[in-house]
Order: sequence, then C-alpha cells, then structure tokens
Amino acid sequence: MLLSVVLFLPLVFAVILTVWPQKTTIRQLALGLSLIEFLASLVVLKNFDQASAALQMAEQYAWVPRFGISYFIGIDGISLMLIMLTTFLTPIIILGSWNSITDRVKGFHVALFVLQTAMMGSFLAMDAVLFYVFWELSLVPMYFIVGIWGGARRIYATIKFFIYTMAGSVLMLLAIIFLMRLTPEVTGGAVSASLLDFYKLQIPFVAGDFFTAQTLLFFAFALAFAIKVPLFPLHTWLPDAHVEAPTPGSVVLAGVMLKMGTFCYLRWVIPLFPEAAEYYAWFFVALGVIGIVYGALVAMVQPDVKKLVAYSSVSHMGYVILGIFVMNQYGVNGALYQMLNHGISTGALFLLIGMIYERTHSRMIVKYGGLASALPIFTIMFVIVTMSSIAVPLTNGFIGEFLILMGTYQYSPLAAGISVTGVILGAAYMLWMVKRVFFGPKGEIVTHAEEDKEHALHDLSVREWVVMTPLIILIFWMGIFPNHFMDYSKKSVDHLISNKHNYTLEVK
Amino acid sequence: MNITVGLTDVLLASPLIVLFLFSLIPLAIKVLRGNKEQNPAATIVIALIGLGLTAGLLLVFGGSDRTAFNNQLLFDGLTQWSALLAIVASAGGLIMMYENPSTRGKQFSELIFLALNSVLGMIILVAAVNLITVFIGLELMSLALYLMIAMSHEQKISKEAAIKYFVLGSFASAIFLYGVSFVFGSSGSVNITDFMQSAATLVKTNKLFLFGIVFVILGFCFKVSIAPFHAWAPDVYQGSPTPVTSFMATAVKAVSFAAFLRIIATQPLVGSQNLFDVMQWLAVITMTVGNVAAIMQNNLKRTLAYSSVAHSGYILVGLITAGISQNSAYSASSVLFYLFAYSIMTMGAFAIVSLIERSENSVINTDDLAGFAKNQPALAMCLTIFMLSLAGLPPTLGFFGKFYLFSAAVNEGLVWLALWGVINSVISVYYYLRPIVVMYMKDGDADVADHSLHATTVLVFVCAFIIIAIGLFSGPLFDLVEKSLG
Repeated sequence: MLLSVVLFLPLVFAVILTVWPQKTTIRQLALGLSLIEFLASLVVLKNFDQASAALQMAEQYAWVPRFGISYFIGIDGISLMLIMLTTFLTPIIILGSWNSITDRVKGFHVALFVLQTAMMGSFLAMDAVLFYVFWELSLVPMYFIVGIWGGARRIYATIKFFIYTMAGSVLMLLAIIFLMRLTPEVTGGAVSASLLDFYKLQIPFVAGDFFTAQTLLFFAFALAFAIKVPLFPLHTWLPDAHVEAPTPGSVVLAGVMLKMGTFCYLRWVIPLFPEAAEYYAWFFVALGVIGIVYGALVAMVQPDVKKLVAYSSVSHMGYVILGIFVMNQYGVNGALYQMLNHGISTGALFLLIGMIYERTHSRMIVKYGGLASALPIFTIMFVIVTMSSIAVPLTNGFIGEFLILMGTYQYSPLAAGISVTGVILGAAYMLWMVKRVFFGPKGEIVTHAEEDKEHALHDLSVREWVVMTPLIILIFWMGIFPNHFMDYSKKSVDHLISNKHNYTLEVK
Repeated sequence: MNITVGLTDVLLASPLIVLFLFSLIPLAIKVLRGNKEQNPAATIVIALIGLGLTAGLLLVFGGSDRTAFNNQLLFDGLTQWSALLAIVASAGGLIMMYENPSTRGKQFSELIFLALNSVLGMIILVAAVNLITVFIGLELMSLALYLMIAMSHEQKISKEAAIKYFVLGSFASAIFLYGVSFVFGSSGSVNITDFMQSAATLVKTNKLFLFGIVFVILGFCFKVSIAPFHAWAPDVYQGSPTPVTSFMATAVKAVSFAAFLRIIATQPLVGSQNLFDVMQWLAVITMTVGNVAAIMQNNLKRTLAYSSVAHSGYILVGLITAGISQNSAYSASSVLFYLFAYSIMTMGAFAIVSLIERSENSVINTDDLAGFAKNQPALAMCLTIFMLSLAGLPPTLGFFGKFYLFSAAVNEGLVWLALWGVINSVISVYYYLRPIVVMYMKDGDADVADHSLHATTVLVFVCAFIIIAIGLFSGPLFDLVEKSLG
C-alpha cells in the first residue's frame, strides 16, 4: 500500500492543483505537496531492509487478466535510490522555478507532478505493460514542459525529443509482446506480462548470429533505453531539448529522466538477456567510451553554457553505460552511484545557470567574464558544483567515476585508459568555462551591470540559498560517506552481478 | 425453395423494424405539418430514442447465434457488437448534425430519416450472411450516405464529394457484385455459412472461386479505404459536412470492416498464399501511405481523413490475423476492440472540428487552432487526449487497441506486420502532435463558434472519458467481446 501511495500521490496532487481556485498560491501549494511526497518517500526509505536483495513492499493486483497483465510494483535497492532522487529533486525544482515560470503556472506544476508519477512508475513497475504505460506517459508532460515554457526553438526541440524517444520505445513494445507470447513455457499455460516470469524465460541465444530471438529482443530493448540515456550516436535530441527547455525542465531531464534509460539496463536488459548482453557488451562499452570522449570534446567548444552542460551530460552518461556493461561489482555499483551524482551535480549546474540567466538573460560565455567580483557567493557555489562534476576527491563525482574506472580496468585496460582521458577533458572544459565566466577580465555583462545601478547583479537570494544548500550538502555527504548511500543498493547490485544468468527476485 | 417467416424471424429482425419505423416519424410529422420543419430538438430526440430502442432490442434478441429469414441474417456476437458500435457511432454523428451549421438547416427531418436508414443498412450489412443481402445492406447504407453528403445547402465542395463518392462507390459495388456472381457460379452458393469450411480448399482448387473472392474483397477494400483504393477518402471526408464525415469515418467504416471480417473469416487467405501476401502488402502500403500523406496536410479534416486511411491499415493487420488464425475469436475481438477505440477517438476529434466551425463553408486548418488551449482549456485537453490516443500512446484506449491488435498478429507469427504497425505509429506521432503544438504553444484566438452548443460538447467529454476510463480498464470489455465471438 505504501508504495502505491508514494507512486500516485503526485497524480493526486496534479488533480488537486487543477481544481485549486486561487491563482496566487499555486506555487506555495505545489511546494508543500512536493515536500509531503518527499516525506512519504522517506517512510519508504525507513521501511526498506538494506540487508535483503528481495523485491520489497511489492503489490500485485490483476489488471487485464486475459493477457496476464497486472498492476505489479515493488522496490529494491536499485530503484530505491532513484525514487529518492526523484522525490528529493522535485521540491528543489519547484522552488528553483519560482521566478522563471511566470506563464500558466498551474499547468506547469500539474505537468511536473504527472511527470513525477510517470517517472517513478517506470522505476517501480514490475509488469512489462505497466512499465510501458509509465515509460510512454512520461513523454507527454515533458513534451508540454519543453514546448510551452521553453526557449525560442522549443517546438522543434520538443517534437524531436518526443519522436526520438517514441521511435525507440515502440520496438520495445513489440519485444514485450513477443516475450509475453513466450511466457506460457514458464507459467504453465497462461500468458503473463510479469517481469518475474520474464526472468524465468530461457531465450535461445546463438553467439554471432544476429537474427536470433535473444539478440533481436536484446537490441529492441537496448535501443529504446539507449535513446533515453542518450548513448552516442543517438544523443542528438538531448542538447536541443536541454537548451530549449526551461530551467526546471532541464533539471528533471538531466536529473531523473535520463536515469530511466540507464536504470532499465539494470532492471530489464541484463537480467532478461544475459548472454546477449555479455556477448555484445564490448559494443556498448565502446559506445560508452566514444560518448565520454566525444561529449567532452564537443562540450569544450560550446559557446553556450547550457549547451556545454548538456554535452557534459552525454559524457557523464557514457560513464554510466560503461559501468553497467563491464558488469562487475565495481562497475555497476559505480554506475548506480554515478546516476545519483549526475542527477545532483548536473541538476545543480542547470539550476545555477538558470539563476544567472534570470539575472543577465544571456548564456553566452563570451559575454561573461569577471563574474566572481560581482557574485562571490554564487561563484563559490558554482565552483563547488563544478568540482563535483569533474570528480574531484571528497565530492560525490569522484566515488562514482573512480569505481567505474576500476571496473572498466578489470574488463579492459584499454577502455579504461581511453575513458580516463575523459576525466582530464572533463576537468579541462569545465574549468576553462569557469575561468572564462567567473574570472579574468570583466566581460560585457559585468561592466554593464557596474555602470547601470538599476540593473546591478544581486548575489544569491534566500530562496536560492534554500535551493542550493541541500544539493551542496549532498555533494559532500555522498563524497565523504559513500557507504551511507551505497549500503542501500549494494545487496541488490551484488545479487544482480552474481546471478545474472538465472536472475530472479524474491518477493517480500 | 420453401420460405417461411415465423415469429422468431420477426423478433430477431425487430431492431431493424423498430429503427425503420422511427426513421419515418420525423418525416411523417413534417409532411403532416404541411412541409414545415418541426423543432429539430424533437427530431433528434426521436432519432436517439429510436437508436436506443434498437440497441436494446439487439441486446435482448441478438447474439444468440440464430438466423432469420431462411439463413439471410445471422445474429451472432459479431453482429451484435458491431451493430451496437454502429449505433453508438451514429448517435454521436446525429448529435453533431443537430448542432453543426451545415446540417441543422431546413431539411433536418430528411437528413435524420436518411441517417437512420443508413444505420439500418449497416445492421443488415453486418448481420447478412448471404452475399446478396450483404450487397443490399451495403447499398442501403451507401445510398443514404450519398444523399446526406450532397444535402448540405451551400457547399459546392460537398456536391463534388457526393458525386465522387457516388461514382466510385457504385464502381466498387459493381466489382463486388461481379465477384459475387463468380462465387455463385463456381461454388453454387452465395451463403457465407455454406463455404465457411470449404473456402480455403475452394480457392486452391477452383480458380474461378478465387477470382470471385478477390473481387468481393476488392469491393470491401474500397469501402474501408485500403490503399491504393483510398483516393476518394480525403476528398470526400473533406467535402462532406463534418458530422456526416464523422458518421462516415466511424460507423460506416466500423460496419464495413465487420462485414469484411465475416468474409475473411471463411479463411480464403489460408488457401491462397498469393492472396495472403497481397493482403499483407496492402496493409503495409495503407498504413504508410495514410501516415505519410497525413503529415503533409494542413486541413484538419483532411489530416483526419488520411489518419483514418492509416488506421484502416492497422485494422487490416488484425483482419489478416483473424483470417489465418485457428482461434479467430481472439483476433476478431481484437479487431472489434480496435474499431471501437478508433471510432470513439475519431468521433471525438470530428466533434471538436464541428464545434469550431462557424458556418457551413468553414475550412479549419490545423493552424487555426492557435490559442484554443487558452480559450477552451477543457476542450483542448480533450483534443489532446484524442490525438494521443490516435497516436497510440498509453494509457489511452488507442494504445490498448493497438496492443491487442499487434499481440494477435505476433501470436500468428505476423511479426513483420506488427513491426510496420509500430513504425507507422511513430510516423503518425508527428502529425498527431501538430494540433497539440498549435493549440498550446502558439498564440491565437481560436474558440468554439457558439458557446451554446452543449450537446456536442457533452459528446466530446463523454468520448474523452471513455478513452481514459475504458483505456485503463479494458480487460472486462475485451473478455466480453471475445466470449460472445467464441
């Protein structure tokens, strides 16, 4: 019951907001409701048993019995962290968009809450059709968020986002239908869409032959998730979507939505198609490595800060893919940690860029310069988040990237060697950007602001302090005491790695 | 031949009789009043009561697998469900006719008379198991429709549409009849139940029978706008008054497919591999042509017309599945379920077009929807639901329709058809999203033409509610249909 409550509360909130009569109190109400949701998810965290790799708090009710489709949700260590990330980021997003969203405020928050339910649903669903429903449902609110509240080329970006993602997922739908057709083998006659029944399937795999069941199914699923991640070369929708999305949209996109892709590799692809995943792992490792270096190189030359961060996402998500497909304990634990890190640090970067954009209405690096003298506190925050993003020790980013690189070294020293250059490149483009924006000679924006007292630049407001403080705390907390977080997921990840060929989840 | 007509026949045919009698009432009143139009509200209420009674009688007497009039009409699950669907869809069309500027004029009673008779033709069409009776149903339905299209007062374009539809429709009917004559000549029977078991072997052994069956199928392909026989559809859909278009795109298409299903269910496809291949390619071509052409349209009705062509392609996949399946109840019910889903969402979309039209000569382009979300948030929300459902996004009815349809296809090993189906869904997303983009993301002053049009508005809300509610809980309905077809 508890899990369903957490899952559907945001949807209930969306309904409440829709019928809420007062226009002026929408933001306060939404913030309060999202905090309630966060508290509810803390209850889940508290009731979660770290010592068990089982599927916990599971609920299953028949939905369409004719096709064995059920409402089946449950949580394990892997999904728990992502649920917490989602509920944690939502209040921050609402508070962060306080001044930037001024048009159709109610609609925006309704879309945000629907999106929250859809994203959490795809983390929690243990039934293939239920999962697909949530997975596709998450496109619609995001489509509106980018399309209505976005920048100048928002319509192009949002349609591209929608069609790209949907193109990937329809093949997955076909694969789901195909898997459902196979289930009578293991259920004794009845069709089933339950993931646990899918896990029991032994899908024939022929190494090297592409046109065999397991390989085709593997690629049908992997393609859908690769687009979402996004994995090089399917990443082109992401920079467009990020640049055009409003700040809160970028934060949700980078913070949670991209993780739907990487999470599903752990939940669906590897346990369902272990042989194919192992056989083709080199391919994904290679794409991950290319993504890391390519994303970093492209980020380096971006004139637009937001686009720079968007390409840095491509690079960071490359690490996650790398960690997942080396399929050892360091790699996968690191990948899961890196998902959280990326959600927090890139989310924080987008929030900071949003704050500066609200003040200057520009994101072009050339116009900045010498911002540190005008906005000292802001600069400190930005530098801290940058450190986290480039994986400096004591910040969260270090733990994730270090584990992933250790795992990669075990798999292939060459791949590890190439991806380490990504760390250096990452430091290069981020620090170079920080130098050009905050230090050095005063740019056009700072000089203008100094001359024109009416449009002087103000340092962080109280609201912005409140937005940033939890993120900064987490950056250090996760960097110094990684076990506080990893203990929740460790059992589940170990269980996945050691049993991937006959994976199953005990239901509790 | 000894023909007896007993009480059972009359009882079974009672829905038809009642419907015909009700269709006469508005006309009779008008004549008795010296050719003065009575209050259209009264007319529409009479018509809806008539449809309601017909539906009730169908529920009571239909679905019993009994035949009437010496094996002319069969009242089985397929008849019952598709006739009910036709009634629901045409009731929606009638409600739009009551309020749309191009249909609520001086000849409303005549229009309703024709519409109800067209529904009568539809029920005969789906109930008929004799190919000659099928033809009678088809013609009764179509003739009434030709007139309904032409009756709009001012629009030149509607006259063009009517002529085009009439000429091409007659041509298709002729082809159908020609096919029937071959079927009769080669097998000695025109009764579908007679070659229910033997069609598969007949097409293999008897070339003339195959020839006949192919022509019969061609006739239906025209009616349900399968490419390359779809060229009439966009012009006719665009030219007709919107309520009539809705009537045509939903009720007429649904029953044509249901009758088509009856022919295909005799399994000629099992006997002839060539025919089977051709049908598969027709399905692929239809989906692709419909979707690609729809991308290029500006006119909203024309977009929906091509979308309707594309959906014919999806349904044809289901039809082919039912035609080769040993357990055809499952595939047939997935077809019926999809027809239901398709009808409800298309009807809703046309109802919104109908609400926006200011006069009988209104042309609604997609760009004219700009600002609709600001002025009519609830209706814009509904149109969004219809579009997403047409595109097959969960958790709408359209998604579950496609899911059942493609599950059935995959079950029969037609994976590549399902693959084309889902690829086409992606193509279609582009044009289904366009109205949403324009409504929500562009500034403009689109609004409904008249704020007092309540019945159509209610219709829109009901459609949207059905799409979400039955979309979320589609299991019971599907089970019910499958059980009655089994």
